[in-house]
Amino acid sequence: MSIAGGECLSAQLNVPFPSVREADIAYGSLSVDKELKRGNVSRELWVENNILHVRFQASEARTFRVSINSFLEHLKLVCETMAEFGPAR
Amino acid sequence: MLALAANQWKAHLRLNLSFVKTTRMVIAIGFEGSANKLGIGIIKDGEVLSNPRHTYITPPGQGFLPKDTAKHHREHALSVLKAALEEANVKPEEIDVVCYTKGPGMGAPLVSTALVARTVAQLWKKPIVAVNHCIGHIEMGRLITGAQNPTVLYVSGGNTQVIAYSDRCYRIFGETIDIAVGNCLDRFARVLKLSNDPSPGYNIEQLAKKGKQYLEMPYVVKGMDVSFSGLLSYIEEKAPKLIESGAYTPEDLCFSLQETVFAMLIEITERAMAHCDSNEVLIVGGVGCNKRLQEMMGIMASERGATLYATDERFCIDNGAMIAQAGWEMYRTGVVTPLKETTCTQRFRTDEVEVTWRS
Repeated sequence: MSIAGGECLSAQLNVPFPSVREADIAYGSLSVDKELKRGNVSRELWVENNILHVRFQASEARTFRVSINSFLEHLKLVCETMAEFGPAR
Repeated sequence: MLALAANQWKAHLRLNLSFVKTTRMVIAIGFEGSANKLGIGIIKDGEVLSNPRHTYITPPGQGFLPKDTAKHHREHALSVLKAALEEANVKPEEIDVVCYTKGPGMGAPLVSTALVARTVAQLWKKPIVAVNHCIGHIEMGRLITGAQNPTVLYVSGGNTQVIAYSDRCYRIFGETIDIAVGNCLDRFARVLKLSNDPSPGYNIEQLAKKGKQYLEMPYVVKGMDVSFSGLLSYIEEKAPKLIESGAYTPEDLCFSLQETVFAMLIEITERAMAHCDSNEVLIVGGVGCNKRLQEMMGIMASERGATLYATDERFCIDNGAMIAQAGWEMYRTGVVTPLKETTCTQRFRTDEVEVTWRS
């Protein structure tokens, strides 16, 4: 399903971490992989204090969903890794 | 007087520091997840301290898909990492470098594994080294067998290459022009609905031992290259009828398939050895633990007066230690991958890597 009139679907996640360092590590791990070009999804990450912000934009609902889902799975893995193999100092 | 003592002390310190620098052991941890095996291994200057692995095994008749394989890796990464550290009795702070598989392989499983490597590298403040999976196999094979400069046959579910080292590059002499030999075997195992536990290739190997009747199949060697897809289509189409009619048993077909594909591999390996005037041959990759392949290669090697080197399933099949070993070699020569560049890539040829650690 495409969105009419060249408009974009967009969503923003704001993920709070216990500390700035953990937010920075999550950013470091999650910002490396680029979105696939053919999916036409743009993903932007940035950190403000202890909060990791992610903004998604896409023209198609399917790729939009896939991109967000996959990001959340990766985020979960990174958080679990930090919880298990921290402590983040 | 005092100044002299201070100078002496400084010299003494310098001496000791240089001593520490040259003798300190380097510990590398390797993360491998390019296919259906998730492996994490720790190596300390050529000694394997731990090498646990968890394999994603699908039901008979089914292959593994990228999405499900990535999920498997995410679910097992932390327990395998814990096991690797515990078995090695190594604390995170003792590790010098974190190595991960950059490619080639399936995208989603590669990324899931790399995410854990990137995260622990940052947590523990360690440098990262991106490793080519094929180079990992070669370096692990050399470490375990002690082969100096072998012609390498690299055979697995995703790769089939004949490789020789020359001038800082592992050069590909011959390779498959379509599917990998392991993929051909795996997919034939699906036709027969063989178990994927411990691996489809292992179960084909066991059945092949009981095969008696040889069925001639398409034998496709094109110069230095091989092709398996036509052979697979042929046997996929014929097998059900041949078994149903009672003309051939599944054992006969496993035997015939193995004999055919292995003969093709031996032919191109021998040609590469003749070309390079090589007296060592090393088999690596998951298919490399097949005893029949090793036996056929051994016969060819002895006829040429060459030595065969092979390893068992611990090191032939994908594992973490092989990534640690290749990464350790790279790290020793000063190779480090900045975090921003620790991407994964599905295509990454063996000959793209500059081999900085060999002369």
